[in-house]
Amino acid sequence: MADGIVIEDLSKSYRRGFVGERVQALGGVSLRIAPGEIFGIIGPNGAGKTTLIGCLLGFLRPDAGRIAIDGKAPDDLAVRAATGYLPERLVLDRWMSGLEFLAYHHALARLPAATRREECAQALERVGLDSAAGHRAIRGYSRGMLQRIGLAQALLGHPRYVFLDEPASGVDPAGVVLFRKLLADLKGSGVTVLLNSHQLEQVERVCDRVAFVKGGKVEAIETLDAGAAHARGLRVRWAATGAVDDSALREAAARAGAAFVEAGRTASGGGSARFVAADDGVAAQLLRALVEVGVPVVEAAPEESRLERLFLAAAPGARSAAPAPTPPPAASAAAESPAAPVSDPARFRPPGQEGGGP
Amino acid sequence: MNVALLTALWRQRFMSPMRMVFLLMLFAFPLLPLIVSPAMGFTTLQDARGLTLIFAVGMIGQDVSSGVLQLLFARPVRRADYVLSRWIAVSIAAAVLAVAQLFAASVILTARGAAPDSTAVGLMMAQRIVEVVQLSAVFALLSALVNGMGDLGLWFLAQLTGGVLAVIAQWKHWPWLGRVGDEIGRIVTPVVNLAGVTSDLAGLAPLATALSITTLALVLAILLVNRKELSYASASG
Repeated sequence: MADGIVIEDLSKSYRRGFVGERVQALGGVSLRIAPGEIFGIIGPNGAGKTTLIGCLLGFLRPDAGRIAIDGKAPDDLAVRAATGYLPERLVLDRWMSGLEFLAYHHALARLPAATRREECAQALERVGLDSAAGHRAIRGYSRGMLQRIGLAQALLGHPRYVFLDEPASGVDPAGVVLFRKLLADLKGSGVTVLLNSHQLEQVERVCDRVAFVKGGKVEAIETLDAGAAHARGLRVRWAATGAVDDSALREAAARAGAAFVEAGRTASGGGSARFVAADDGVAAQLLRALVEVGVPVVEAAPEESRLERLFLAAAPGARSAAPAPTPPPAASAAAESPAAPVSDPARFRPPGQEGGGP
Repeated sequence: MNVALLTALWRQRFMSPMRMVFLLMLFAFPLLPLIVSPAMGFTTLQDARGLTLIFAVGMIGQDVSSGVLQLLFARPVRRADYVLSRWIAVSIAAAVLAVAQLFAASVILTARGAAPDSTAVGLMMAQRIVEVVQLSAVFALLSALVNGMGDLGLWFLAQLTGGVLAVIAQWKHWPWLGRVGDEIGRIVTPVVNLAGVTSDLAGLAPLATALSITTLALVLAILLVNRKELSYASASG
């Protein structure tokens, strides 16, 4: 019976160089990840995310604290037999072919030799690599192919726990879609997934909960749900060519199935309003409806997602480095909207107040 | 012992062009003089050190520095199994080639009308196997200490240290230091003489010494690998 992952007061520090000062990579991290949950970890570089995964895999010895996976230590062989791992810096045995590499890891995972050939071929197919690619030496693989073969090895033997460190890094758009589908399949199979990624939109789409890690501490845990994950704020600005009252804005929102949030006017007669659209299609309908009710729309810009707002609010200086949010096709006249404060406080709780899982 | 690890090391080694060039040189070149001058006997063969180095250098350190150990240790593989499998794989490969080289030399000598004594050949084969096994274990230890092929540098350094200590001992008339230098040399470059093994109990001493060095080196290698933290985390967060 799976017990999930329990992390209690985990601390880990490194010494910089041989005689350098100690750097606290993790300072008292506590988390509970329920069986079958897809749990995301986000945070700036150097936050301690990879250190946390290193401790969970038994690669690093914590200074203090406890980790239990299914009630066992992370380096217990039974835990490892039930674990799949895709590292951030994927280094493979480059002299092997893709299929040889999978067969090697199939054997290391103590999976039955009788099914090796068949399961390795299936794993290859599952990540969208064909047989010809499987017979090629890994040294000839592109970055995206490496990531796919790495993902295939992580999923060998149907693990109950999967640790993915930047899994979509270097993968083309088709690969990203495939990766999302694989995660959905894993969730459907009750697999517990720990996902470390800088791609906030991906994290928001697939994760049940997300921990924001900064300075070696869990700063916040965000609970996401499938319906809200795709909802986007949309800020619409109109020109000072005529009066626009709230009733027209509400009517347009109602027609499109979107939610009107608030509106503001400038002294010159123009103004802007905020809406929440469930998806890109609703955003497109909203823009059409606004024009139909006579709003002289000159600009529509998507607001940052909740995770983006959380990330940017908690990581000063990240704004300039963070990728711009992807605008919905219908709102292509977008300019970057100003950062809004973290909203929805009922859904955003400090780690101490979070529950055991969804 | 993990068969997947064993075969992976063999395939990796035999697919390395650089190692294969060295292997060809060290295996074939000592046999060539025998064809021309069979009277030389086995003197051109020296020992199996070179053949062992071809397989042993970087046996653990290369996996650490390349980063493949992370994926490997995410699997249900004990670190002790990993070390022992690497050692066994190196020992078997080097021992087979060391014995095959002696066998090839015997065939050449026989064909040239200078057939060697079969007992002597058997004894030499046994000595080579023991030397290979000990040197492989020493390299497991050195390779657990340093990344990449740094074990080769450490090995040369240890030999040099032994030599320097012997010279200082002679100069200062410190016999104890000479013994230290000799011991270091004996550990890192095993020379096993099994000639007396069959005669009496004392003849077993070289074998017992080789086995104890092998055991100690492997235990230390396992301890070092067990304590090793695998991470790029400090660099990336």
